[in-house]
Amino acid sequence: MSDDPRLERRYRRLLRCYPAAFRREHEQEMLAVLMAGTTQGQRWPRAAEVVDLLASATSTRLRNRWRMSWAWEYKHWRVTVPVRVLSGIWLVALTAILYGYGIGGWWGVLLIPAALAHFYVVYRTMRHRRV
Amino acid sequence: MQEATFLILTALAGGSQHGYGIITDVEQISEQRVRLRAGTLYTALERLRADGLVEVDREEIVDSRLRRYYRLTATGAERLASEAARLRANALVAMSRLDPVGAR
Repeated sequence: MSDDPRLERRYRRLLRCYPAAFRREHEQEMLAVLMAGTTQGQRWPRAAEVVDLLASATSTRLRNRWRMSWAWEYKHWRVTVPVRVLSGIWLVALTAILYGYGIGGWWGVLLIPAALAHFYVVYRTMRHRRV
Repeated sequence: MQEATFLILTALAGGSQHGYGIITDVEQISEQRVRLRAGTLYTALERLRADGLVEVDREEIVDSRLRRYYRLTATGAERLASEAARLRANALVAMSRLDPVGAR
């Protein structure tokens, strides 16, 4: 195990890629784990370790973002649910109109998934409100 | 369930452990095949904690470094048991088809 302060500083710098809340919770213990995995005389983090830390920090951030946007949907459900239901119905109607006039072309590929996405968010929000 | 998750839960099934303890234990359980890295371990632990499968047991300071011990919750033990049963069932079928006489 290395006790080089420069190595520790480099690990610390890498850990800054994580969200602040995650760092408050885990930075100290992760640093301990990282330092425990080093070998005597090592001065730089191993490449595979750097890749792993960056990947894990990115996925943590993405997951936070994802969770935050759901929390926002749930909180403002009185507004988002009706708006999404109406938007979904409007998109379906628009698709029907476009194809009715024979000018839909490839727009259905965009419009139908968008409508389904609206309905899915409504479904999840309502399910969340029930439990 | 991913293999890393399965191995982390298995490591904790034997009692509470801290981060580096989990890494060395997982290495041993998997016969040196899986070496968890710190990033992977802590994103997994964070997710398992959010899902209520593991929880923090206690904290210690060793050589001025923080050691946080994790343990399996009752839900975590249940999930691990059902996953292990599923894997065993699959493995038994595979082995009996490969070698109908040798498998029990």
